[in-house]
Amino acid sequence: MSQGVFHRLDGVARNISPFFVTLLLVLMALLPIRVTDFGPIVPAVALIGVFFWSVHRPDLMPIWAVFIIGFVQDLLTGGAWGPGIVGLLVAHALVAWQHRFFLAASFVLIWCVFMLVAAVAMAVTWMFTCMAMMTYIDPEPVFFQFLMTVAIYPCLAWVFLRGQRLFQR
Amino acid sequence: MNKPTGSEIRVASPLKAWASRFALLLLVGAAFGLMLIGRTNSFLVEETRTAVTDMVTPILDAVSQPVDTFSGVIDQAETLANLQSQNVSLKEQNARLLHWQAVARRLEAENAALRDLNQMVPDPGMRHITARVVGDPGGAFVRSVLINAGERNGVEKGQAATTGAGLAGRVAEVGVRSARVLLVTDINSRIPVAVGDGRERAVLAGDNTNAPQLLYLGPTAQLQVGDQVSTSGHGGVFPPGLPIGVVSAVGETAIRVEPFVDWSHMEVLRIVDYEMSGILDFQSVEAERAERAAAAQEEASR
Repeated sequence: MSQGVFHRLDGVARNISPFFVTLLLVLMALLPIRVTDFGPIVPAVALIGVFFWSVHRPDLMPIWAVFIIGFVQDLLTGGAWGPGIVGLLVAHALVAWQHRFFLAASFVLIWCVFMLVAAVAMAVTWMFTCMAMMTYIDPEPVFFQFLMTVAIYPCLAWVFLRGQRLFQR
Repeated sequence: MNKPTGSEIRVASPLKAWASRFALLLLVGAAFGLMLIGRTNSFLVEETRTAVTDMVTPILDAVSQPVDTFSGVIDQAETLANLQSQNVSLKEQNARLLHWQAVARRLEAENAALRDLNQMVPDPGMRHITARVVGDPGGAFVRSVLINAGERNGVEKGQAATTGAGLAGRVAEVGVRSARVLLVTDINSRIPVAVGDGRERAVLAGDNTNAPQLLYLGPTAQLQVGDQVSTSGHGGVFPPGLPIGVVSAVGETAIRVEPFVDWSHMEVLRIVDYEMSGILDFQSVEAERAERAAAAQEEASR
């Protein structure tokens, strides 16, 4: 009996881990890492988490989880409500739309696709932030954030993959 | 679990696809709804945000300490590398500052004498609350930091946040144990300032770049690169004379200011509690004066 309960708890923990790991990443991105001029260009880690699991385990990254992650991110960064959510939802929808494509794709190919998806998602976020704040915001920092996010994707994806293999053993 | 039969799959897939499409539309709609609420109900936005910030600040506080230590180690390594040159420049600076100290003392005495002569109302008292920076959202749209002091430490909305170098920002949201400081570089930051020796009035407006710009300068204002920018005290929230930065570029389209604060080493902020009520509450000022006079008399009679 107790074994059954633990087994189920274990299963639940595995199933919600992508959601919580991504939330944790959003929180960690808040840490004040004081490397010169690093501040304005913190990579969009939530986007990486959402994309990675939408590609590899879409069943563990349902759309409501994406919504909550986006909302928590918007709340914590102190920006307008909504733009971050829409950006993540767009990324999730793009991956879900072409899901068959990823089944046999190599890592480099997925990385390239991430570049496209991130570009679209961040452009959407930028557009909606401008709308929500009712002013024009210089897109240059967004571009640098995009580059930073694309550059850090392989590192995080590697960690996620290792974690996933560890869990699935 | 039973495996679905072929017919079940045929029925389930379009239904599932339809449901997921519907969910996407619904959630995008919800995001729009939140955006609208965010624009119209700023009170709710603030309450929710401070509640969440209060929740995560203890976590950030705990985790950011090792991060601070790590940053400290990197800093130390950097310092060791240029110890000698730093020493020379510090000696020079020390000599220069000693000179300024003498000047400041003389001016302070003169100032006190003149104030006494004019019976000027004393500046309201100032209290400092020191808080650690525990969160820095970064990102491309906001320039703000989270600090680990809130209502229970006496932090209030609108107070100035400074580092040793100068003004960093203003307290924008206050929770019980945390607060958010909107930096002077944020796109929503507007601070009344005085520029240069002529103390020209202007508004320092952030635009998410590292160098905010000066707006609403008078048409006759003559500014030069290197002019000092400090708070003017207009609006009554900030004390006058807090240093902010220097004019770094005077162009056709914009006049830019380089803040003194080193954004990459902002570990601790001092929140200035400028007790404006000191001016409004005249009686207490008078009472304090009378008390002081009485004490002085008593001392003289001894």
